[in-house]
Amino acid sequence: MPGSRLFWSAEGRFVVLVPALLVSVLGRGPIAAASTPPTFDEDIRPILEANCVSCHGGDAPQQGLDLRTSRAILRGGSSGPAVEIGSSANSALVERIVAGTMPPGDLSLTESEIALIRHWIDNGAAHEAGELGAELVTDRDVLPIFQARCVVCHGKREQRGGLDLRTREARLAGGDSGPALVPGAPDASLIIQKVEAGEMPPPDMQYDYAVRNPTDAEVATLREWVAAGAPPAPEEVASPEPTPQLAEGDGDHWAFLPPQRPAVPKVTSQAMVSNAVDAFLLRKLEERGLSYSEEAAPLTLLRRAYLHLTGMPPPPQEIERYLQDDRDNRYQLLIERLLDAPEYGERWARHWLDVAGHIDTEGFGEYAPRRQNAWRYRDYVIRAFNQDKPFDEFLTEQIAGDELAPWKDQEATPELIERLAATGFLRTAPDPTWEIEFAFLDERMNVIADEVHILGSGLLGLTVGCARCHDHKFDPITHRDYYSMGAILQAAYDPYDWLQPKQRVLDIGLASEKQEVDEFNAPLKSKIERLEKSLEKEAAPYEQQLLDERLAKLPEDVREDLLRLSETAEDERTEVQRYLAKQFKQTLEISTNDLKERFESFKTKAEPIQKQVKEARDQLKPAPGVHGLVDMGGEPSTSYLLLRGDAFTPGQPVEPGVPAFLTTHLDPFEVVAPWPGADSSGRRLALARWLTQPNHPLTARVMVNRMWMRHFGRGLVASPDNFGLTGESPSHPELLDWLATEFVRSGWSMKHMHRLMMNSTAYRQDSRKDGEAMATDPDNVLLSRMTMRRMDAEQLYDSILMATSRLDPTRFGPPSDLDLSDDGEYRATGTAQGFRRSVYTLQQPRTPISLLEAFDLPQLAPNCIVRNQSNVPTQALHLMNSKWTWELSRYMAGRIIDAAGNDSEEPVREVFLRALSRPPSRSETSESVAALDELRSSWVERLMSDRREAPIEATARWLALANLCHTVLNSAEFAFID
Amino acid sequence: MSLGRIPLESVRARKRTAMGRRDFFSRISDGLHGAGLAYLLGADLFSPNPALAATGASPAFDLAPKPAHFEPKAKAVIQLFMHGGPSQVDLFDPKPDLTKYVGKTPSRDLTAVAVSPQQNAGILPSPYQFGRHGESGLEFSELLPHISECADDIALIRSMFTDTQNHETALNMIHSGRLLGNRPTIGSWVSYGLGTENQNLPAYVVLDDPKGLPIGGIDNWQAAWLPPIYQGTRFRAQGTPVLNLDPRPEWPEAVLDVERRLLRQLDQAHVRRRPHEADLTARISAYELAARMQLAATDALDLEQEDEKTKEMYGLNDALTESYGRRCLMARRLVERGVRFVQLYIEQQIWDTHTKLDEGLRYSCGKTDRPSAALLKDLKQRGLLEDTLVIWGGEFGRLPLGQGDSNNKSSLGRDHGPNGFTLWMAGGGVKGGTVYGATDELGNHAVENPVSVHDFHATVLSLLGMNFRDLVYRRHGLDERLTDQFPARVIEDLIA
Repeated sequence: MPGSRLFWSAEGRFVVLVPALLVSVLGRGPIAAASTPPTFDEDIRPILEANCVSCHGGDAPQQGLDLRTSRAILRGGSSGPAVEIGSSANSALVERIVAGTMPPGDLSLTESEIALIRHWIDNGAAHEAGELGAELVTDRDVLPIFQARCVVCHGKREQRGGLDLRTREARLAGGDSGPALVPGAPDASLIIQKVEAGEMPPPDMQYDYAVRNPTDAEVATLREWVAAGAPPAPEEVASPEPTPQLAEGDGDHWAFLPPQRPAVPKVTSQAMVSNAVDAFLLRKLEERGLSYSEEAAPLTLLRRAYLHLTGMPPPPQEIERYLQDDRDNRYQLLIERLLDAPEYGERWARHWLDVAGHIDTEGFGEYAPRRQNAWRYRDYVIRAFNQDKPFDEFLTEQIAGDELAPWKDQEATPELIERLAATGFLRTAPDPTWEIEFAFLDERMNVIADEVHILGSGLLGLTVGCARCHDHKFDPITHRDYYSMGAILQAAYDPYDWLQPKQRVLDIGLASEKQEVDEFNAPLKSKIERLEKSLEKEAAPYEQQLLDERLAKLPEDVREDLLRLSETAEDERTEVQRYLAKQFKQTLEISTNDLKERFESFKTKAEPIQKQVKEARDQLKPAPGVHGLVDMGGEPSTSYLLLRGDAFTPGQPVEPGVPAFLTTHLDPFEVVAPWPGADSSGRRLALARWLTQPNHPLTARVMVNRMWMRHFGRGLVASPDNFGLTGESPSHPELLDWLATEFVRSGWSMKHMHRLMMNSTAYRQDSRKDGEAMATDPDNVLLSRMTMRRMDAEQLYDSILMATSRLDPTRFGPPSDLDLSDDGEYRATGTAQGFRRSVYTLQQPRTPISLLEAFDLPQLAPNCIVRNQSNVPTQALHLMNSKWTWELSRYMAGRIIDAAGNDSEEPVREVFLRALSRPPSRSETSESVAALDELRSSWVERLMSDRREAPIEATARWLALANLCHTVLNSAEFAFID
Repeated sequence: MSLGRIPLESVRARKRTAMGRRDFFSRISDGLHGAGLAYLLGADLFSPNPALAATGASPAFDLAPKPAHFEPKAKAVIQLFMHGGPSQVDLFDPKPDLTKYVGKTPSRDLTAVAVSPQQNAGILPSPYQFGRHGESGLEFSELLPHISECADDIALIRSMFTDTQNHETALNMIHSGRLLGNRPTIGSWVSYGLGTENQNLPAYVVLDDPKGLPIGGIDNWQAAWLPPIYQGTRFRAQGTPVLNLDPRPEWPEAVLDVERRLLRQLDQAHVRRRPHEADLTARISAYELAARMQLAATDALDLEQEDEKTKEMYGLNDALTESYGRRCLMARRLVERGVRFVQLYIEQQIWDTHTKLDEGLRYSCGKTDRPSAALLKDLKQRGLLEDTLVIWGGEFGRLPLGQGDSNNKSSLGRDHGPNGFTLWMAGGGVKGGTVYGATDELGNHAVENPVSVHDFHATVLSLLGMNFRDLVYRRHGLDERLTDQFPARVIEDLIA
């Protein structure tokens, strides 16, 4: 062990840092023998080993606190250092022991043991001289410093000065200026010199690379390490127990055990059983003396099925068709038709996009840039639902589409693009690192944390985020599990080798797309070039004048030098000239803005040109590309457990992995190269393979539960984002497991699940609440009726478009922009045909479409599993008074008159059919006809006084009908689904 | 149940004694108005307060008044937000010793936080006289002659500090407790926790300056991931105050009446066929309330109802003070009507005096001093100040250094100073005539009783009767708070 010799060669800095060490070692010498303070190895370690190390040791110590070595004790755990040298009174270790909170349970330390620990701390918390090697600063301690501060320029992607600082060997090998360090001689080591002098990381580059200076403590650690001979990391002894802190029974929670397929029960009212779903539901109802409600009216069912599967009410001709269909199975055939309709994928993609957190901007900031290609992910999801892509395949492509087959240097095909676009699933989280101010290590960690949250809440139904700072308080998710999941992403999201969003754009597009963009952009580009040339020409004389003015303020000799300098091309400048250029940057560099500020005449000429340039630039189409996540290739940097979740306080290194408590019944999470010779880690593919095992306890359950929630208004597990110990227990556990196993058995077919749920008798019930049901089952947990619900924001928006014939059915491709209207509302930009479905509009979280926002569009930060619902006057104001709904109502009335004329009860019937999917009752017809008459005469009066050119009577009739349309769109019946 | 101020009809209706659930449902058949009433009552009688209970899978959210955690001192808040960073050493925090350091090299501590350290022009003593005012003898600069008159109602916190010297991040911090934005602002938290007393007006109203929004715009009053009903509603100074508040202007009046009648017929028939559906009832009542909001909001902002003396007091007859004065007067009228949280903004970042300190400060003080003081005096004479908390302050302060060309004294300004600044509060249970905390002898660093932004937030919530630890919103399985996980304390010394 080279420890002690190297220790003695240490410099003053080291001694200052740990003076107690020196004192203790001296104390062991021949001079002071009388009262020897206790040492760690001799006196303290045995106490801790007997009482504490079973939890605070091993591979994954509790709360990140490892009590096996004194260095680890000083480093501390998730609540900070355990010991303050010299003060036992201020040391958490002593405080917990004395207070009796540690060790937990019956164990407690004796008075003399506590006294010994106090004595040890108060005298400097020394260790045994001969054992110092164990306490050396090793490569393990310095690696996170190099990763956080250096490797961005001296690492995988760049090796400035020929230097790579990622590994000990590479550091010793050094770069163009020789080895980076001389073991044992910090003062002779370049790296120590440069870092201590504040030259590295270079101050003028730190901002651009989003790197900050190392802290004083980190600098000291580097020096210590070099002084100690730059020892490599110790061999980690693998702990025999893979999950030391998994308490007995932690994995026994129902949701952590694989679902077992239950037998379908027999019930008394077997006639009501359409499929297994009913058998499970009726059994519970019968146990309480309840049963189903009667079947809903045909048109109620038709509207319900349409809104649930396509997100819009049925078109009038479909209503006729359904009523005239006299086949026994017309309802089942309807479900099949709807599952085959392209609108189905658009509606159900929206649900999945909530889970994924899909947005079209980099985040919430005022200037957050567009994600130009995020729509490809949205299209991928829509197509996947329409194709009934097996859910396991769907997940695998989204998690690891890039690792399924080679993609680099492949011909861009639609299939390849789709497979890569699928990985947009892991690029949905707001990514503030586009702005350098928010591109530092802590924000990068936040991006990764958001993605881990999406994986956790969306796929596992667990609140994994709780384990970011400490072990989960309720579920057996450890602090370490959390960072193991983060490490899965590290080969693509490397916090120490970060890519900003613009660097992640995959430059892949079909040749035809590229050509189309090039052809579109070519005239614009040449226009821009021409304009810029003309601006340069205008600027030249002014530039010269301003430069002369600036130089005139400088001393004579400097002026001459600068003048010469400004005439010398950049690559021909001498060393001195380059220095001068840097020093007098502000004098020499003249921007267009400088000129505009100085010369009013130039400003007048320049601004129209600049405006034209901007307009042309805004019209440029971005090159086709893919917004996805791919493995960066090469060796990913080391991942750490972050103490207290703090990016700058790394604890132990962690390997990629999944929560240990979920591994018991499954094939292990195993990282292998995706294909021979792949330059891709295979980490995410391993996650996908692990998640999609048929007997995974959570994957299928979480998905079928959410589908159930969308159809019935409430999940079988009422907390769809929390299947853990604090989540709700399932109302029908056997049904949930039957559905989960059936899902897998059907080849993970989502359409099969829709059929089971929607063809059940339960789904076809009436939603009317009677007094009895209110008393026995107020929240309708047992489903003795259907649950009435308000449309969500997108259903309402799309339904208005559908009912008013303003729906532009164009599918796929870049989204419609949003405009701020002059009345202060954000609306989608209309097209010649009307407006596209909400899913095809720009998902801009800061200022979404105002109508959607009013109706509880969630803020995807980063995703949303269950939406809130509110009922407030601003919603009424929106539908009643906005210009947009009135415009659409006029349009609707116009089309009805075109189709049905305007002189009888026929238009009234059409209004009700289009908006409410039913004909009006007799009294509704007569009330409406009477109202139309009143409305018409009010409008006649108004139009006459306006003296417009339009025919008064016909216009008044049209506007009166528009008012009727507007009223019906505002009715409760329109917005609620029975 | 303590309801506090009861100024309007909807709230007055709530004074009935508790109703049984059956009564509640039977009232639905009273018709639309009855439904609206029943909704208001029902929201209060039957729905637990989701903010305070923090249980249940998917609570319903509304703006009905909610009981506080404990007896509140303040029922409403008016925040006079002073965007840009008012200079504490020139306004509230006299530092005569600065003259001793003129010409000395400032420490790294001072220059390090400057946004433009290269423009450091050395220590710059305040050119203004300070005087003692009121019985308390609080010191104010000569630039604030009107606010000085309210000295005995004001508690000066001279030891505020924040974590950043950039506007954008400092605004995020002071409004939502974190440097990186996209978190709910304090007004949203308060609306979420307490609801509001008048359902005909928004709970959280923002009165921004027609001359320009603050940096970050609408982010300054966002609800982020709280339900959107808790975000600040901008009352526009011109035109209708709320989006879509007025009926379509092109409609003849009779048309509106017919639509309303038809809608009522349709909805009543619909509800009759579907008994016990609280959501439907709420929906119908929302339409009724919307119509009432139109009247209430228009009425609240109609300053013509004020007498000449009041207008004069707020400076409505003076071009310099007119704009801010109008907003201060609107704020009083809103609070009077039961609005919970009113936030006033002023012309972009008017206090951001990087250059021409004197010119800038005289302009900013000129615009705001008189109206701010008028608001305090007016609230007081109406007996509203005792339960209305008024907060005056910005996102940070300024350095005691000059910024710019030291040879051109009149051009000098001051750079941002995040490490120590002054913010004041008055009314709403605040101990008037007090000074809390102190900065160092340069007025730069908060050294005595430093108050973090989290402490400030915790104190405001406490004055409103809420414990900052218990005002939680469950999100992704975690309890979120205004103060997040940061340490915070209520400054008890500020509370009367």
